[in-house]
Amino acid sequence: MKIIACYSNKGGVGKTTTSVNLAYAYARAGKQVLLCDLDPQGASGFYLRVKPSKKLTEARFFEDVKRFVNAIRASDFEGLDVLPANLTFRDFDVFLSRMRNKRSRLKKALIAAGSDYDVIILDCPPNFSTLSENIFKAADEIVVPVVPTTLSERSFDQLVSFFDEHKLRKKKLRAFFSMVQRRKTLHHETMDMMRERYRRRFLKCVIPFAADVEKMGQHRAPVSVYAGRSAASAAYQALYEELENGVVSGK
Amino acid sequence: MTLKTDGFFVLPGAFDDDVFAQVLTDWTVRFGTATASKSFILLDCHDQSLRVSGQMLIETDGTLQLLQGNGESWVQNSTAKGRFVQELLCGSVREALQGFPELRALTGIGAGRVENRSLTILDDQQKTQVRGDLMALSCKTGRATIIRVQRLRGYDRAFVAVCSALTEMGGNADGVEAVFQALFPGMVPYQAKPEVRLGQTEPSVQVATDIIRTYLTVARRNEDGVIADVDTEFLHDYRVSLRRVRSVLDLFKGVFSERQSAELKQVFSDLMAPTGRVRDLDVYLLEKDIYFNLIPSKLHVGLDVMFEQFEKQRAQELSRLSRRFRSAAYDRSMNTLIELFSVTDRLEPGPNATRGANEYACALIWKRYRKVCKLARSINEETPDKAVHDLRIDCKKLRYLMEFFAPLFARKRFKLILKPLKKLQDSLGLFNDYSIQQEALLDFVSQQSNAQGQVQAQLGMAVGGLIAVLDQRQRAERDRVIASFQQFDGPDTRHLFRSLFHHKKE
Repeated sequence: MKIIACYSNKGGVGKTTTSVNLAYAYARAGKQVLLCDLDPQGASGFYLRVKPSKKLTEARFFEDVKRFVNAIRASDFEGLDVLPANLTFRDFDVFLSRMRNKRSRLKKALIAAGSDYDVIILDCPPNFSTLSENIFKAADEIVVPVVPTTLSERSFDQLVSFFDEHKLRKKKLRAFFSMVQRRKTLHHETMDMMRERYRRRFLKCVIPFAADVEKMGQHRAPVSVYAGRSAASAAYQALYEELENGVVSGK
Repeated sequence: MTLKTDGFFVLPGAFDDDVFAQVLTDWTVRFGTATASKSFILLDCHDQSLRVSGQMLIETDGTLQLLQGNGESWVQNSTAKGRFVQELLCGSVREALQGFPELRALTGIGAGRVENRSLTILDDQQKTQVRGDLMALSCKTGRATIIRVQRLRGYDRAFVAVCSALTEMGGNADGVEAVFQALFPGMVPYQAKPEVRLGQTEPSVQVATDIIRTYLTVARRNEDGVIADVDTEFLHDYRVSLRRVRSVLDLFKGVFSERQSAELKQVFSDLMAPTGRVRDLDVYLLEKDIYFNLIPSKLHVGLDVMFEQFEKQRAQELSRLSRRFRSAAYDRSMNTLIELFSVTDRLEPGPNATRGANEYACALIWKRYRKVCKLARSINEETPDKAVHDLRIDCKKLRYLMEFFAPLFARKRFKLILKPLKKLQDSLGLFNDYSIQQEALLDFVSQQSNAQGQVQAQLGMAVGGLIAVLDQRQRAERDRVIASFQQFDGPDTRHLFRSLFHHKKE
């Protein structure tokens, strides 16, 4: 079982769209995938039409394997299941901070409840907290969408420093540029600069800013389902290929 | 391709979409557009082994689909070379049919038209909560809809609701048998060994008549298959049925008058005689590979010659037999026999005709059992082969008697005795086969030889090699006969025989 976290300490960078589309790509490749919506807003559940879980509260998430397992829902797509969010997930931090071994709780819960799956993808809320420390610890890979703007650059710097300070394995960080607009000079300059500075941290693949991605809210399905031949769909497929096989697609 | 569904329902008749949607008020029911209607052929072998084992095999448009009542199904290409399972193209259906009898050919036992539709149960977010499909089958004699539904993780409530809605609509969840019944209500599956109901005190003439009539009917149901040469089991079953009739005539002594017994024995012997040669050749041809494996490949050339001859002979003999089966005279004589055995009063009773079934059965079985034991205990390394052959015949008679009267006795205890008896019979059967095969080979060679008694060298070598091997096997089997009998002759079986069939009058 592999755990992939989709994380950014900055909001609005495309975490949820990445989580959903990446999870779908894994499922299409024949893997059994569980997408965990850890963000109390429950956006990835919304994209897959899965209603928020009423019964799974934060305490049960960590302590009651049976409840955790029972809250899992099949999506409309073969091989892709969803653990929908619950509003109490916003209190994960308070809950976790009171617990012993507070940094490894998430990993334990996922291993106990997610044994049916080849891949677990975590759609994470944007902040530094006990939960995010848990995520850093649990994940085998942390996929970080970075919009090539000054503010995002700053956030990524903060993330890397956090890893340095807490002696976390930076190798887990797999950043990629998200919502890239080819016509913006600033985007190109920022991308070049960051690739220079963080040579090993960035994937080659780039997700473009595209109307097709924004339409996910209307279609409530992964991009490849309703716009299979779009550039965005190809980009998410490329992201999957590069993450999974280290293959960079031609385009 | 294998597909697993969690719910399998059969609705006799057409499926009413509106009723189904009305029952499921909490959800939206969506049906996919129906595929173009295709013709289908329902495949099974003559004894409907698939149906009996709860499976259904249909062929549509070059595709084979195997369905099981537990919701599992397999699909593969059907462009087959032959009609036997082992001759299908490699694929999941063939894989799933591995236990299917190798000697039985698949034939179309019914046909009709089929239409497929998908089924989706959605919630208010348009999220799929249950998925499924409908297979609407229709033919001249009936209609049925197979509904398969898939449970999606986390949506048990919807799945349960769909299942109970289908049950409410008259859906049957017990498997494919309901499809057969809805589509082909008049179809009576062929049974090689139908159970003949007997009463404990029924007069034995009635028992004999019932058994004979039953097996005459079984024999008749195999004639068409022999004529069409579907597979070799038709003729085999035909012969086994007649053999049962003959053994009733032979074993139920004194049930019919002496005159009639003798006459009937002759009639059935004459019926059996023309089938023997084809069956012998069938057996040789079925065991072709075994023969080739018995002797080194250096000698195979001779075997090729021999089997070519066998095939030619079989074709000739079979066409002769088919002509006989198709003749009006044969049909008339069979009908006359069935008529004769339709009631007891057309038959001349013998001195034992009125004896009660149970009492008569016990006497016959006990006597035969004692005979078998006496004969078997006398067999050692020196006894001539003939004694072993006699033992085989007596065991066979014992077995037939027990099978005829089985409905009168406790099933469980009966099975306990039959098991070691079967083992002994297997061994005796092999012993007999080896001996008969040697004779047949010698016969064959003498037919092929010229006036000076010379045969083609390769043929001679091959047959010589075979006879040598068969003789060794026969001798080895003889030891096994003795061992199997000792097992059969154990204290438990003795006790069972005594308690079942020998009630001492004290």
